[in-house]
Amino acid sequence: MEPLIEELKQKIIAGFNLEGVTPAEINPDAPIFGAGLDLDSIDALELVAILEQDYGITILERSVADKAFASVRALAEFVTANRT
Amino acid sequence: MPSRRPVITGTGIISAAGCGVTAVWESVRTGRTGLGPLTLFASPRFANHPVGQVRADVDALAGRVRGSRSDKLCWLAAREAWAAAGLAANPKKINPVRTGVMVGATVGGMPGAEQFLTTLLREHQHRLGPLRFHECAGAADLCAQQIGARGPVTTLSTACSAGAMALLAAAELIAQGEADVVLAGATDSLARLTVNGFGSLLLLDPHGCRPFDARRTGISLGEGAAMLVVEAEETAVARGAKILARLAGWGASCDAFHATAPQPDGRGALQAMQRALERGGVTPAQVDFVSAHGTATPDNDAMEARALKQLFGDHVPPFSSVKGLFGHTLAASGAIKAVLAVQSLGAQAVPGTAGFEVPDEKLGLEPVRVFRAQRVDRLLSNSFGFGGNNVALLFERPGVPPVATAAARIASPPNFVTTTTGSKWFAVLGVGVISPAGKSLTEIARTMGGGGAATSWFDVPALSPGDRAQVYAAGEPDPEQLLEPGRRRRLSRLQQMAVVAAHQALRTTSAATLAPERMAVAIGTGLGALNDTAAFVENMILKEERAPRPALFTNSVHNALASQVAIECRLAGLNSTPVQREICFETALWQAATELAGGRADLALAGAADELNQYHLAAGRRWGWWPESSPAIRPFANALAQPARPLPGEGCTLFALGRADGTTPPLALVSAIRIGRRETNDAAAEAAWILETLRRDGVAPDAPDLLLTGANGLRAADEFYQAVAAALSRLAGRPVACGAYKQSCGEFHSASAFGLLTAIGLVRGEIAAKHPCKTIVLLTLSPTGTKGMCCVRA
Repeated sequence: MEPLIEELKQKIIAGFNLEGVTPAEINPDAPIFGAGLDLDSIDALELVAILEQDYGITILERSVADKAFASVRALAEFVTANRT
Repeated sequence: MPSRRPVITGTGIISAAGCGVTAVWESVRTGRTGLGPLTLFASPRFANHPVGQVRADVDALAGRVRGSRSDKLCWLAAREAWAAAGLAANPKKINPVRTGVMVGATVGGMPGAEQFLTTLLREHQHRLGPLRFHECAGAADLCAQQIGARGPVTTLSTACSAGAMALLAAAELIAQGEADVVLAGATDSLARLTVNGFGSLLLLDPHGCRPFDARRTGISLGEGAAMLVVEAEETAVARGAKILARLAGWGASCDAFHATAPQPDGRGALQAMQRALERGGVTPAQVDFVSAHGTATPDNDAMEARALKQLFGDHVPPFSSVKGLFGHTLAASGAIKAVLAVQSLGAQAVPGTAGFEVPDEKLGLEPVRVFRAQRVDRLLSNSFGFGGNNVALLFERPGVPPVATAAARIASPPNFVTTTTGSKWFAVLGVGVISPAGKSLTEIARTMGGGGAATSWFDVPALSPGDRAQVYAAGEPDPEQLLEPGRRRRLSRLQQMAVVAAHQALRTTSAATLAPERMAVAIGTGLGALNDTAAFVENMILKEERAPRPALFTNSVHNALASQVAIECRLAGLNSTPVQREICFETALWQAATELAGGRADLALAGAADELNQYHLAAGRRWGWWPESSPAIRPFANALAQPARPLPGEGCTLFALGRADGTTPPLALVSAIRIGRRETNDAAAEAAWILETLRRDGVAPDAPDLLLTGANGLRAADEFYQAVAAALSRLAGRPVACGAYKQSCGEFHSASAFGLLTAIGLVRGEIAAKHPCKTIVLLTLSPTGTKGMCCVRA
């Protein structure tokens, strides 16, 4: 799980253009959105696109996304369970 | 005192729920939904989502009229409205010069651009035909041409509130006496861009939309058009027209909160509704029904319910949403609701909420479920767009005793300067610019002194690998100094230009101390965020709709620019995005000035922005707009054996307008702001139009020294501008020189904003001129017939 968590952190930093943020600064157990990283609903949707692009996971409902994005760790578990 | 009260004398509509007012009202009466399968184009990803598609054969109905699907829908609705108002049969009863057209549109000819890009990216073929009707401005041009309108004609693109914004602009034109009749409304067709865009935001409900329902998850997209004849009561009465309803109040606001999400507390929506009621001189208790925006997204409906409870307290009047019948028709939504409002007032009955079944306890409000008879004297109609662009319109039954006239209701004094001679001037308090000639007036003056801006090369792989085009490119906006990384990370280059220019323009003003709702914004754009739009569509085509990119979609919306500026600079007054090609800037200037003159804003930001894009360059090259390579723009170089052709340019120029408050002297004064339309090339008529406008605003007709024009080196246009200057000299009785500015910024739709900055530089003596220029008239003539002007002095 840890390598995937690192990978996802990298994708979040690159995908959201988070200048100056290092992976170490992202707490894997903190909520990805609405917390320290100052990311908003459009970022959450961009993450949905990244998941589809890179892991073949298609999310069509907001409620699924909200659950998956509870934290980077929760996201890693979601990716592991759903990747194609 | 004859009434300048705006009334409605004709309506027309085409939609998924029927073509024509009678058919649509029957669908509304029976609650028969227009939602059904998407067959207009293939969408692998969203094929199973119901849409409000117009099932009638639009091309066949439109006959010989040419344009995009959206343009044709608009004309079909307009034709019905025009005939219903009795104007098709008796066109001579109105004065064409006092007849305008205001259209709201967001999609325009996007389906054509999708087709062009599909052929290019999949088959590597350049088929440019579908691009011909790309612009949103086509519908207004078409309607104006069909009815022969020669008054103010323009297009506004404030996303889902654009239809209501067009009606608001029409009401202002009537109330201010700038027009007698305005054909106003909106149009939008379905497009893969919007289907995939809303899909990328997870805002499409696969069950079909369920407004205000506890189970709602999003919208159903729709398409259609609705147009209304808005007329001054006095002229309607004089020509014996039947008055269907009064457009009694109108109000606009901006959340200045987020690109797509509404301000959760409903503050912006509340403000727009309050402004509409104030303008109409009525109290919340006098409103009998609310036609809700009610898109059925979780956020919109929650926000709207909250705003309704704040405005009406425990006595929220009956309300409903018709999105379940029509789908969300985006720009057209507010205009369709306006037509239904007129029907409701006439029939004393209100629509139900198709799709609603399970009440949402969290809202604490329930909409009217099914069509029913009820007393309706006054009806409030809400429209809220992306970027928090809110508009509310108040409609009144003609039999209701009218309250005080609109003029008497304006509480605040107008924010313009009146000189001793009685002329009206708006003070330019600040400017911000990112242009090919520089990023400040000083830099630009230096560039212009040196003969014009330098050109550079822009990669156009769409033509062929390694191909390039010669352009006038704007410098980089350098947002680093103004914006923290977190606030600029998602901004496109065009948005960065606008935000940086806005900060620059406001720096020398009292913006920081003013209440946000007292500051308005209007930023024109001819073609909008071409690069983000193209990137979204490329991704959609190449990946067959997999992983659509939401941030590109939200940036692609025309009003994303003005909304982003509003968020960055906390400007919560009217927020508008005119897109009428060459006069998008003049329209923005007019809207900003109207807010200041009406006392609704103390400060207004007006300007325009456009960006270079490889597909636009490729298409322009193939069409022969742009040369393969050419000397730089040389206006009036007609004597040369090979006249220079225009090179494309880009840039963003914004102006902070207001009343000089004494702290900083104004940079310049602007007056005689007007838009219109011409049908023939008659230089004397254009000169007379300019003089009439100067006189209207109290400017001495012999004042202008210079006519500063959009001349770009194309012989016919340049010669016409020169003929207008010569005619102006004859009429004014003194020499008026003819000047140009495109040698310093290039040719693009919103270049005239740079033209105004050039005029300011000239009247201030910062830009060197052959002769002293004290007063300058800026004139812009669009090849499609629309025109715009303003007058500048130090």
